[in-house]
Amino acid sequence: MNPETEKTLTFFGKMTANLTHEVKNVLAIIQESAGLMEDITAICPLTEKKYQEKFNRSMATIKQQLHRGIDLTTQFNRFAHTPDRASAELNLVDTVGQFCLLTERFARLKHIGLTAGEPPANERIRLTTNPVQFYMALFFSLESCLTALPADTEIRITPQKKGGKSPAIEYACTGDHLPPAEEFFQQLQAADAWSELREMIGQLQGEVECDTNDLRFWLIF
Amino acid sequence: MKTRVLLVDDEEQFVEQLSERLKIREYDVSACYSGEEAVEQIKQYLYDVVILDVAMPGMDGNEVLKHIKEQRPLTEVIMLTGHATVESAISGMKLGAFDYLMKPCDTDELTRKIDNAYQRKAEQEERIRTAKAEQYQTSPWSALGDKK
Repeated sequence: MNPETEKTLTFFGKMTANLTHEVKNVLAIIQESAGLMEDITAICPLTEKKYQEKFNRSMATIKQQLHRGIDLTTQFNRFAHTPDRASAELNLVDTVGQFCLLTERFARLKHIGLTAGEPPANERIRLTTNPVQFYMALFFSLESCLTALPADTEIRITPQKKGGKSPAIEYACTGDHLPPAEEFFQQLQAADAWSELREMIGQLQGEVECDTNDLRFWLIF
Repeated sequence: MKTRVLLVDDEEQFVEQLSERLKIREYDVSACYSGEEAVEQIKQYLYDVVILDVAMPGMDGNEVLKHIKEQRPLTEVIMLTGHATVESAISGMKLGAFDYLMKPCDTDELTRKIDNAYQRKAEQEERIRTAKAEQYQTSPWSALGDKK
């Protein structure tokens, strides 16, 4: 990555991290205000039961959405810090979980499911790499899959150790409406994002391995 | 006696709402909105637990923590942090903070930490009382030294 690009990324990272920090402050105030309303009605419930029930349901929705907002901003804040270092040790389980949370909407818009898979026996898999480029490789892989898959299918991204030692990320596509493997891989490789992935994985000194029988591929590092 | 809590954060509405919630839970809560104000409060009053935001304009949480530990070494401090400042919160732990919490935090988790911090302070005070009592028994004149 050239120094100008690095500077730009660092700038965007700082602005985004700052903003997510502010959003977390906003969410904190909403959370405490909603919590206070809940505390007060617990001490002194509304006189009509049906209104108290409506109040409780509404409060439950606020709390649920607050948790969603807090989770998203927390993960996005972490993501905004990725350009801080040119090389860092990543916990791939956390990184993939975070990536799926932040990109799930891209899949949802195409009616495709996206989940982070668990490595066997909660294995801890770590990789020292350029965090921004690693995220880009994950994203180009996802984008390629979204181009090649129809609606009502699912993508599962799982960190694992390929051959028992090399850190790897598996992309496995499942569902009732999957195209034949040959067609899937043809479309995958025709996607613009796939060429970007090839270039990025080269820069990261990794490789892509495909299982043409099972609609799976791996990014191996 | 209620646990005396000082809440320090530059987000005024956050402080107001959380103060009310802690008061409902039977804590004796005071609030201030800057590090400088907190240092003045600590000089004048005794608190059991201080809840301290790490990132504040002017004097930041770690600076305030140093003042607290100089002036009131037994007062326990819980650092509040947004994710971006977790490292500052960890350095706060090295400076003697009891614990830290990510903001926004769960109220039950916060009160649990306040109670644990108060417990540690009470145990420390009890140990000091016992040590002093032993000292007075072996050397009664030392009591005069303490009163000077």
